[in-house]
Amino acid sequence: MASAFLTHHQKVLRLYKKSLRHLESWSDNRHDYRFHACVLRGRFDDNLAEKDMVKATMLLKTGEEEFWTKQHPAPYIFPDSPGGTSYERYECYKVPEWVLEHWHPSEKAVYPDYFAKREQWKKLRLESWDKEITQLQLEAEAGGPKTEALPPARIDGDLPPLWWQIVTRPRAQGA
Amino acid sequence: MAARVLQHCVRTLRLSSGPLALRAAVVPAAPLHRALSFYSADRRTRCVNKFPSLDVLCRQYGQLPPLTLESIEERVLYVLKLYDKINPEKLQATSHFMKDLGLDSLDQVEIIMAMEDEFGFEIPDGEAEKLMTPDEIVQYIADKKDIYE
Repeated sequence: MASAFLTHHQKVLRLYKKSLRHLESWSDNRHDYRFHACVLRGRFDDNLAEKDMVKATMLLKTGEEEFWTKQHPAPYIFPDSPGGTSYERYECYKVPEWVLEHWHPSEKAVYPDYFAKREQWKKLRLESWDKEITQLQLEAEAGGPKTEALPPARIDGDLPPLWWQIVTRPRAQGA
Repeated sequence: MAARVLQHCVRTLRLSSGPLALRAAVVPAAPLHRALSFYSADRRTRCVNKFPSLDVLCRQYGQLPPLTLESIEERVLYVLKLYDKINPEKLQATSHFMKDLGLDSLDQVEIIMAMEDEFGFEIPDGEAEKLMTPDEIVQYIADKKDIYE
């Protein structure tokens, strides 16, 4: 997303998605859900061609209010999403990569290729660090960063800023 | 990963040396003990687990089979072919939903929801609205699940 504000289009899509999810939580079986989902889609499609932004915003407002009154008290949340059962469950087992530095040399000797490769990666990181920092300082906005998104590398042959954090992030699946 | 390594060790130990060496490792065995243990192990070989105590060392949690890029692509295309607004003959991995297949943004939301249901994790709205081809969806899922990274 370019800016911090949502466009009308985006707001409508988000309302559609969350109303479908809550509809799913209310439905007893899949057939009922599909029927009501199609009916809801018909309602959204009726007002698709609205060009008057005032009317469109009023429609969105009434839609949001209807969603609020009809929402499910305990909607289905996916396990890995915030509020779900498995959210951040394995965060404590995700060991950061700097722990590898603290391995005993006898332990490191069990994986010589891996640690040799790792030395090369660390050298690369050392070389590109200054360039990353200068790029971030050049592109820094006055009031602080507006989004969490990092900029890509601007110069050919350069690495994107703070690439080490992304490359050495802990694995998503449990190995 | 540690669990898998342990399981592998247990399996190789079982296959290679059998009950004798293990017994010798666990308890200093006299020849008489060995004969007895061989006999009792023989009886136990009829059951599935020779050494249930060793199974305790490696826990086996219920997990889905590991994802591969091919399997993700297969599943994504399968779900898309089931969608009635898409013509299955025209569907390619690189076909754009809006330009090539003539779908709406509401349809794209429905497709993303079907992908969420298929793979069992949520795709946040900010990133979902950018996924416009099956290839991008596959890339996104592989990114989130760290497949062949």
